[in-house]
Amino acid sequence: MQPADLEAALRPKLGDRLLTVEPFARTAGRVRFRRDGALDLFRTMRDDLAYRHLSMVGAIDWVDHREVFYVLWSDERTEYVLLSADVPADDARIETASGVWPSANWHEREAWEMVDVLFDHHPDLRHLLTPDGYAFHPLLRSFKLHEPEELEVKTRHV
Amino acid sequence: MSEMWINMGPQHPMTHGLWNLRVKIDGEMILDVDPEMGYLHRGIEKISEDRHYNEVVTLMDRCCYVAGFAWEHLYILASEGALHIQPPERAEYLRVLCDEFQRIGSHIMWYAAFVQDLGLMSPFLYGMRDRDLVLDLFQSYTGARMTYEYMRVGGVRSDLPPGFTDRARQVLDWLTQRYEEYDQLCLGSTIFRKRCDDLGTLKAADCVAHGVTGPMLRAAGMKRDLRRDRPYAVYPQLDFDVAVADGADVTARYLVRMEELRQSVRILRQVVDWLDRHPGPVMAEQLPRWLGAPYAPVGAEGYLLKRNFPKGVGFSSVEEPHGEAQAYVVNEGGEHPYRVKFRSPVFANISAARQYLVGYHVADIPPIMGSVDVCVGEVDR
Amino acid sequence: MAPLTLYTVSNDLVSSLLTALGNAIPNPVGAWLKSPDLITGLSVLVFAAILLAASMLNTILLIWWERKLLGRFMDRRGAMHVGYAGLLQNFADGLKLFRKNTFQPREADSLGFYTGPAAYMVTSLILFGILPISSGWNSGALPLTLLLALAIFSFAPLFIFISAWSSNNKYSLMGGMRSAAQMIAYEVPILLAVVAVVIVAGSFDLTTIVYEQQNYWFWGPLVVALIVFVAGMLAEMERIPFDLPEAEAELVEGWNTEYGGMLFAFFMLADYLRALVGSILVVLLFLGGWTLPTWVPAAATSFPLAGIFWFMLKTYLVFGLFVWVRAALPRVRTDQLLRIGWNRMIPLSLLSIFLAALLVTVKCLPFLGCVPSPGS
Repeated sequence: MQPADLEAALRPKLGDRLLTVEPFARTAGRVRFRRDGALDLFRTMRDDLAYRHLSMVGAIDWVDHREVFYVLWSDERTEYVLLSADVPADDARIETASGVWPSANWHEREAWEMVDVLFDHHPDLRHLLTPDGYAFHPLLRSFKLHEPEELEVKTRHV
Repeated sequence: MSEMWINMGPQHPMTHGLWNLRVKIDGEMILDVDPEMGYLHRGIEKISEDRHYNEVVTLMDRCCYVAGFAWEHLYILASEGALHIQPPERAEYLRVLCDEFQRIGSHIMWYAAFVQDLGLMSPFLYGMRDRDLVLDLFQSYTGARMTYEYMRVGGVRSDLPPGFTDRARQVLDWLTQRYEEYDQLCLGSTIFRKRCDDLGTLKAADCVAHGVTGPMLRAAGMKRDLRRDRPYAVYPQLDFDVAVADGADVTARYLVRMEELRQSVRILRQVVDWLDRHPGPVMAEQLPRWLGAPYAPVGAEGYLLKRNFPKGVGFSSVEEPHGEAQAYVVNEGGEHPYRVKFRSPVFANISAARQYLVGYHVADIPPIMGSVDVCVGEVDR
Repeated sequence: MAPLTLYTVSNDLVSSLLTALGNAIPNPVGAWLKSPDLITGLSVLVFAAILLAASMLNTILLIWWERKLLGRFMDRRGAMHVGYAGLLQNFADGLKLFRKNTFQPREADSLGFYTGPAAYMVTSLILFGILPISSGWNSGALPLTLLLALAIFSFAPLFIFISAWSSNNKYSLMGGMRSAAQMIAYEVPILLAVVAVVIVAGSFDLTTIVYEQQNYWFWGPLVVALIVFVAGMLAEMERIPFDLPEAEAELVEGWNTEYGGMLFAFFMLADYLRALVGSILVVLLFLGGWTLPTWVPAAATSFPLAGIFWFMLKTYLVFGLFVWVRAALPRVRTDQLLRIGWNRMIPLSLLSIFLAALLVTVKCLPFLGCVPSPGS
């Protein structure tokens, strides 16, 4: 599937909530969308375009804003596609994908604790790799290595 | 006994690594599970933002301690995409050689750990014995048995030592015989079949929904193998079959992995023959100076200079021994990657634990989790 | 002359020593030293000390035998550095455990935590004491030795459960529960299989059972009972494939998870002692004890301590079989284990009783051999 085909398939469903579809190496393309179209886009990708497999959810801190990206895979067409949405840094939240793809659950937990992007309606947004009560988001650019931090880690269970 | 939670981990014989499987049990029955990760989190993605492209390879070896080569390859593919570099063909073949020997090493390690979870003690040592031969091969051309640091952006560090291919063929012959012995010890045992058949079932639809990949997915009858579906390196030139099984249970996963061991031997025979016939360079020419100096120590002249690279994003995926690994490398023009994000197959496979554990016995946890082939290093990163 | 037995030997030893001592020391101390009560009491003590030493020595040798054998099965060498072929390795390990600190979990129940291992050890030691090992090495003719041995053998789950429960650890508790369930399930077929032997031999006395096998060892005619007995013994000894109570893959170390140092050594020694006793019982009941078939030349049985030699050889070979099983088989699951016990073993043992009764009636069976009539 080419980026143009993707755009043709998605534009009627999403309207202006779909921003651009650009070519991207080793994938069918990168779909940029506005975050209010997230759920519709997810459902369309899964149900109409047969991207039934969500491989990865990640987030990037661009300092002025944050980007959430999703990697999808379709067994029918054996190809990847990337979705990406920008969220403002001071209000970093987006609708969860875990209702559409259960595999998003842990990836979103990781993205939340690492890059501080809140996933609305996530069923189980707890710390995954860092301890409970860990107040930092290590993958933000503002989190500097080489600077010792003080933290008090609470144990999870007694 | 009423319901209670028990912690299987972080130090527990079942975990094969540092993680905690919280299990809610009623007597011997599993009611609920809650895997807890993070005990081995080293922040590899964060550290990578502070390293040169080639230095990240060192971290990749630490991602998965039984499949270092696969992770090196994954990262190298992504950063070569981000930097627009094409390695020579011989380097590609050498990478496939590494990958497939690594797959053998990883699967044999899995076999050893898995049978030990079932209480079979002898095959554990047989597995370790045979894996050592593979590690000896690694040592002969990388100098290391576990953390190789062999692949480089633009190629590989060095060529094979003389006589390597003959030794590799001997090892392959030996392994082919041993696979029969493995099968006799497991499939030939009634107790093994009774324990593993219809155990930990995860059907193909659930696998896809929960992002489960690799041998677990192929054991559910789904013929997905990135070496076939999205070929990388020189896999299109090589002749092999994708292993699949139908059971979706522990036995099926065993069958898939054993078949993959055999297919890896098949691939390696072709690769070794090709390497014998086609000498050539193993590093790309006309690299940026700091990338093209494979032996240059950190801080060497010209190494730390700012370079202007085309901005770009590299994305790669490889069929790691545990499943489908992905890397997403963002290059913003500096000498460090701006952001690196990895997708670990075991991460997704464990996240579906509730789907394949609930409803079985406590005694089934070790074989089921064994059949998942957990490698905590790459889950926590 | 009365047959030389372990007790008469220790009695002679003590009485000659005390008599010599009593003659040298003036009365009344000398007379007291020569009094029969003291001699009897002391010879019982010496007898017990010899038994203890022999059982411990055998247990440690058995561990060495298992380690070497298991090593060979696994394509490695086993212990090999301390002493000749690693013979002293286990003594070194024991010494190490002996020097370790004894500790208990904070919330553990001290009484159960400490009495459990001791009682487990003691019951296992008593077992060794009552079993005859040769015509000379027995503790006198107890008419119901076999029954007594099995009764003491079945004490173990109680003490295992006490120590598991008092450890205040969930894994220990689960291991203890499994242990109790498993031992109860396998007591029954073991006893029924033994009944088959008793029917044919006509006695509960182990010495009599051995002498009944002068012509034909029982393993041939009573092969069904042998299978049930060996499988049951594997479960009683908690060895692979039936080592669920300490299945290390899921239960860490099962019921002895919280034990360390010498307390752990107690469990370990008692486990191997029970393995030894199990092998001894197999030899006594099915493999002719210390006797050899009649066609063996007399020279093979006439050298000093020949009975003990042949007996121990058989015992170690039987234990080697258990080790082989351990090297080759995976562990079964709890429910499968119990199902095997109740659904397969009990019908099989009933069948073996039927076969034994048939055998006593018809005397001879084709291919399986003949048995002497009871009491002949």
